[in-house]
Amino acid sequence: MSRLKEAASELVDVALEEGAKDAVAEVFDSSVDQIRYSNSMVDISNHSRAVHAHVLVAVGGRTMASDVRDLRKGAETVRLIVKHARASPVNEDYGGIASGKFKYRRSQLDKRILSLRNPANYVLDAIDGAVSTGAPDVGGTFFVRDSKWGIASSKGALAEDANASMDLSVRAFTQPEASGHAVLVATNLDKMRARETGARAAELAIAAKNPVSGEEGRFDLVMEPFFLGGIVGATGGMASGLAVELGMSMFAKRIGKRVASDAVTLVDDPMRRSMSRRMFDHEGKPAKRNVVISNGVLKTYLHNTSTAKRMKAKSTASTGPLVASQFSMPSEPMMFHPVLEAGDLKVEELVEDVRDGLYINNTWYTRFQNYSTGDFSTIPRDAVLRIRNGEIVGAVKNVRVSDNLMRFWKGIDAMSKSSEEIYWWDEAAPPAHLPAARARKMKVTRSS
Amino acid sequence: MIDEDIAEHTLDRAAAQDVPVLMEVKLESSRKSALSIKSGLVHSVSSFTDEGMYVRVVMDEGIGFASANRISKQTGADLARRATRLAKSGKRRERVKLSSEKAATAKWSVAQRQKLADVSNDDRLRYLKSLDSEMMSARVKVQGRYFETVDSETHGYFASSDGARVRSMVPRLMMSCLNTVSSKGETEQSIREWGATGGWEKTVEWAAGAALAEEVRVLKELIDKGKPVKSGEYDLICGPEVAGIAAHESCGHPMEADRILGREMSQAGKSFVSPKMLGDRIGSKQATVIDDPTVPGSYGYYEYDDEGVKARPRFLYKKGIINEFLHNRETAGKLRLKSNASSRSSVYGKEPIVRMANTFVAPGDLGEDEMVRSVKNGVLMKSFTEWNIDDKRYNQKYTSREAYFIRDGELAGPARGCVLEITTPRFWGSMDGVSRKVELTAAECGKGDPMQGIAVHTGGPMLRLRGVHLK
Repeated sequence: MSRLKEAASELVDVALEEGAKDAVAEVFDSSVDQIRYSNSMVDISNHSRAVHAHVLVAVGGRTMASDVRDLRKGAETVRLIVKHARASPVNEDYGGIASGKFKYRRSQLDKRILSLRNPANYVLDAIDGAVSTGAPDVGGTFFVRDSKWGIASSKGALAEDANASMDLSVRAFTQPEASGHAVLVATNLDKMRARETGARAAELAIAAKNPVSGEEGRFDLVMEPFFLGGIVGATGGMASGLAVELGMSMFAKRIGKRVASDAVTLVDDPMRRSMSRRMFDHEGKPAKRNVVISNGVLKTYLHNTSTAKRMKAKSTASTGPLVASQFSMPSEPMMFHPVLEAGDLKVEELVEDVRDGLYINNTWYTRFQNYSTGDFSTIPRDAVLRIRNGEIVGAVKNVRVSDNLMRFWKGIDAMSKSSEEIYWWDEAAPPAHLPAARARKMKVTRSS
Repeated sequence: MIDEDIAEHTLDRAAAQDVPVLMEVKLESSRKSALSIKSGLVHSVSSFTDEGMYVRVVMDEGIGFASANRISKQTGADLARRATRLAKSGKRRERVKLSSEKAATAKWSVAQRQKLADVSNDDRLRYLKSLDSEMMSARVKVQGRYFETVDSETHGYFASSDGARVRSMVPRLMMSCLNTVSSKGETEQSIREWGATGGWEKTVEWAAGAALAEEVRVLKELIDKGKPVKSGEYDLICGPEVAGIAAHESCGHPMEADRILGREMSQAGKSFVSPKMLGDRIGSKQATVIDDPTVPGSYGYYEYDDEGVKARPRFLYKKGIINEFLHNRETAGKLRLKSNASSRSSVYGKEPIVRMANTFVAPGDLGEDEMVRSVKNGVLMKSFTEWNIDDKRYNQKYTSREAYFIRDGELAGPARGCVLEITTPRFWGSMDGVSRKVELTAAECGKGDPMQGIAVHTGGPMLRLRGVHLK
């Protein structure tokens, strides 16, 4: 048995010896190297490494989740966790963990990524790509991520997985209010195109020159995959069974109903080769491809064992991390790798069929007035280009898309046939494979 | 307890190997517990302890930062070596300049009357259930009803090669909840948070149960009786919660010097403010916004920042003038100024960057009733739901949660979904009256890459804005 799986199994054994009825342990060994740069110079190079384990135990209906940060004291800590679980109140929401004789698929990773000698060269290439294209002011991040994790449970889970990826973000400015932003995610060293990514950001920044204040009204939007990253992330969050229970989803009571146009098929595909690829969820249940929206119709919520039991459904192997993070509740069902199925048009064709609209590079600060209705707004940023009669005629600034998320998805009438993996900061997240898309008659507002 | 010798050993060994401009070592040890309930039932229980360290090295060629979730002499030596190598790899054209600061030797902590370490999960559950019960005594239909409490104690030891030595112990707690009120087939939502540094006694001081009972009553009334605002020009009174979000988003963030100098350009963005705008007018004489880490018991409280600089209040906008940016030693050095102790790291695994602490609008001299009486045709926006602002911090939107029409100096029924979409100079320039009583709201501010959520308070008194466009 390999190291992380064995470590997880040992922690589960300790929990069972102490009297736990259910136990899951997931051991992580991850390191992240990051270079941050701005003003076309490197600001800081960061390295962090963490070896730790998430543990969930249940004793007589009482549960305790913990992050075992010092594995040298792993057994001692797990004994304490079981003791604390016994002393905790009964968890009435707990419905158990995944149980079965599981078989897991093996994953592949490009080990060359883990032995990069001079990652700063990619950053210098990206800066050079942008500057030589015509954008003198460049900033961004470059990450190299190395993750290994093993899982074991008292109900049959025993597996190990690993991933290696690089992600580059380049934001380039040609003027103080004219910028373009491009990202590139690679799980294969041969696909890292730093210079081209910098050049793409610069091309957008050039197109965004001399922006004028945008108008209010209803416009057709042609959105780059980057823009869709945050919107898909918010939509995926609402597919969680827990979000539905909490009233934080516009999808409540809509299984089998139309929630988007025919053009929209949204899938969670954790096993697709990507930055967020994984072969099992955080209960150790083998990952599966879940079609959430099929040609505009809502097919399923995403479940862990507990939400599935409460909502009389089956787990979709979507259990999130056992311990809460900044953006998730403990074990919250989640999309690991959203995929928006591509269409059949070129991006230029999406633009050609727009009489009065905007072409948008990126967005941020997507916020909801009411999650159960989907009323929201988001702020386009970087290149926001005016489309008139099928042609880009200039750049605008200071606009906001203020509409309803379900109306947004119902307004989508076409997708591009090209798609790419997108991830940026915690805005375009989680990592997702996305095409460009066109939405009709969306409400655009601005400050007065 | 933290073995402080490890920091000294790390600095000594590193000094023997290389000569950085500055080396900083931070050791951190913490305990955290959380419990949540959903619809009155336990949803999750978690607890963990953690310890780790970072080494940050500043060289002429750049800055390197390395961290690990372990504290030992060997780990310190390894991190120092790695951070030094990373700093050298920066190949910067311009040397990193740090402001010169007095090397502090200090020990600080926050007192607790009821120690968080002595709080049991039964205590946490009793507290949350009492909130849920008090809220439900309002007899309003509330869906979801999610309550969570998180409390932690963090011990820190900071040591730098220029002589700073700061020991700290911060107990911090928060309670957040999300509730969906429904009536007549429609819903309104509320996401609230209370936070403090101190002991469990803070949960009593918050009086959150009574506030939530009132909140759900108000939201039901909003659904039943609220009317939309007809688009047009109005006088607007912003409640303390709205004053606070504006202070944070359209004053605090654009006044962060790292943004002004471009360091956040690809994430949270730059700023409409430039270094040469110090001294320029941004608002009316009523517009004074302070960021103050030293407010006792506040969620963003600290006495020394993560570069060992002593904390003090910062007057960001002063009587409508752009007065002072938020600085760490790097940004202050670049602008030939002194740091004002704004360097914070959320956890040992992430680099310290320029952050706010507790940002609020300074009080004025009006009574709250007096402000309402002074408005002929307007709206009182007491709180907000959806909000956002662009990455240069110039165009912002606040959508009301609790709001009322004001007609001839009197409240005239609930206003629903009132939207203020306004530029930063227009917001601060329209202010012509400020009330006396400041109220603070706890929040987690997100910034940096990797993202660092950090505890802050936002707030202010009531603000009167004349002739703004509402929709």
